[in-house]
Amino acid sequence: MVTPAVAHIGLWTALPVLATFALSLTDYNIFDAPRWIGIDNYIQIWNDPTFRLATWNTVVYTFWTVPVSMAIAMVIAVALNQNLWLRTWYRTAFFLPQVTATVAIAMVWLWIYNPQQGLLNAALSVIGIPGQAWLANPDWSLWAVILVGAWQGIGIKMLIYIAALQNVDNSLYEAASVDGASVVRKFFAITLPMLKPATFFVLVISIIGAFQVFDQIYVLTDGGPANATTMMTYEVYRSAFQNFQMGLASAQSVCLFAFLLVMTLISRRATRGDDE
Amino acid sequence: MSATRMHPATPGTPGTTPAVAPKPRTKRRRPWKGRLLLNVILSIGAFTMIIPFLWMIATSLKSPAELAQFPPTLLPQVWQWSNYSEALQAAPFHLYFRNSFLISAGHTIITLVLGSMAGYALARIPFRGREWVFMGFVAMLMIPTYTKIVPQFLLVKFMPLFGGNDIFGQGGTGWLNTWWALIIPGGLSATAIFLFRQFYLSLPRELEEAARLDGLNEFRIYAQIYTPLIKPALATVALLTFQESWNNFLWPLLVTTRDDLRVIQVGLAVFQQLDSTSWHYLMAGTTLATVPMVVLFLFCQKYFIQGFTHAGIK
Repeated sequence: MVTPAVAHIGLWTALPVLATFALSLTDYNIFDAPRWIGIDNYIQIWNDPTFRLATWNTVVYTFWTVPVSMAIAMVIAVALNQNLWLRTWYRTAFFLPQVTATVAIAMVWLWIYNPQQGLLNAALSVIGIPGQAWLANPDWSLWAVILVGAWQGIGIKMLIYIAALQNVDNSLYEAASVDGASVVRKFFAITLPMLKPATFFVLVISIIGAFQVFDQIYVLTDGGPANATTMMTYEVYRSAFQNFQMGLASAQSVCLFAFLLVMTLISRRATRGDDE
Repeated sequence: MSATRMHPATPGTPGTTPAVAPKPRTKRRRPWKGRLLLNVILSIGAFTMIIPFLWMIATSLKSPAELAQFPPTLLPQVWQWSNYSEALQAAPFHLYFRNSFLISAGHTIITLVLGSMAGYALARIPFRGREWVFMGFVAMLMIPTYTKIVPQFLLVKFMPLFGGNDIFGQGGTGWLNTWWALIIPGGLSATAIFLFRQFYLSLPRELEEAARLDGLNEFRIYAQIYTPLIKPALATVALLTFQESWNNFLWPLLVTTRDDLRVIQVGLAVFQQLDSTSWHYLMAGTTLATVPMVVLFLFCQKYFIQGFTHAGIK
């Protein structure tokens, strides 16, 4: 009964992964047969300023989207963990960006960032701040992309925090109340330490997710202006499907994989630690 | 949408709630000022989150002349419902919509059937090498999309005996621009198998033993005894699969170029590239692409939330 699944995953996941490693050592343009070139692709990546920039952008994107949306998500989860009227509606609103397609909502943001008729410039002009061509300005474009990523990422993190908060023993809070602890004090003395395992889990899966950002880059900026928003995934896409350098693209995706593998191994160790 | 309904009701002033006998709703009641403040902050936050959605709908109902104004109007002056029918003329969004639906449904069915069988076998049938197979699937969980996408594309392109290819996969286009490429490779994920295994493991052994005594074979034990017991899990995995597949962009972008095979996400991107000024049509199309997931989420929140908390990753 497991055979069809093994066949499917074997053909469409296991084989491609092995092939990626093999292809990463070749020069291959689809039309001619692959040519073995050893580690030349990796040397090229190492010396390629664009891929370095893409790696840096990916790290910057991750560094800002992940902690910002985690902090917001945690505060919201704590607020929603009480008997509030409209609680489900709040939760739905915060979670909505997560269930809708990244391409679709990136279209909406493209329109919001529009320099002539966009909502953002209109809102800023009300308070007297001059507008910007947010996505066309190399100083701002990465921040515009980061804002979208942080906005979309809040929902899932909030959900995991809500689930984690349900396991926190209520008597801790009652004891603290008897001792006269303030809300803020209770948050830092009880909630934060109790959420530590969940925080670690959220951190790792968010980093893994953020490293694979692609759809909003494709829609919002195409990696531009002047590569200011290109990411590792976008470079893989460009090498493979615009320049047909399959070998180089494979080597780039191996680099991405190496980053993610380290993260995944850390997360597995951490979650296993929880169970015991 | 949820958004528009919740806004007017949000400031939970004491006056709006009927003045019944003040019975304590919770044991630790916060002072009402604190509750009010919390509600105000949360409703501002929630409203901020859904502004893009509201803006999308508002734009989809405005006329081009109104869109050209600066500063923009908040609500449409005239509600142009005809934008939707005109958007369908400008690009075949209904066709894209249908394609997305067929592919998502296909992925969901394949995942439910193959995934649950594999999960069941891994959880309940002791066979030789089971640990190895399971370890293999767990290893596959860690593989990011971008580490397999190049060879997956090559597999599709060089699929033997399809699309004019010879037995060695040369000479034609293989599965490119076919339904096969859209439905088969993404049909099953290691995550689904893993989730199913967990769900089957949580069921008691006694059922299996009783069924064996009654002489049921393995497949009937799976199909008639255990699987009906994990209906909520089936719903969870089905919704996650459907949602992921509906929202998928890169794979359909790579393997199709024909307009009649386009999915809605790719259709939106192509429409935007071809006509970057018709924002009212684009937002109408975007609304069409978004609404099914929002509706599905509103009606099946419980399963979605369970699924996302289990799987953790989008």
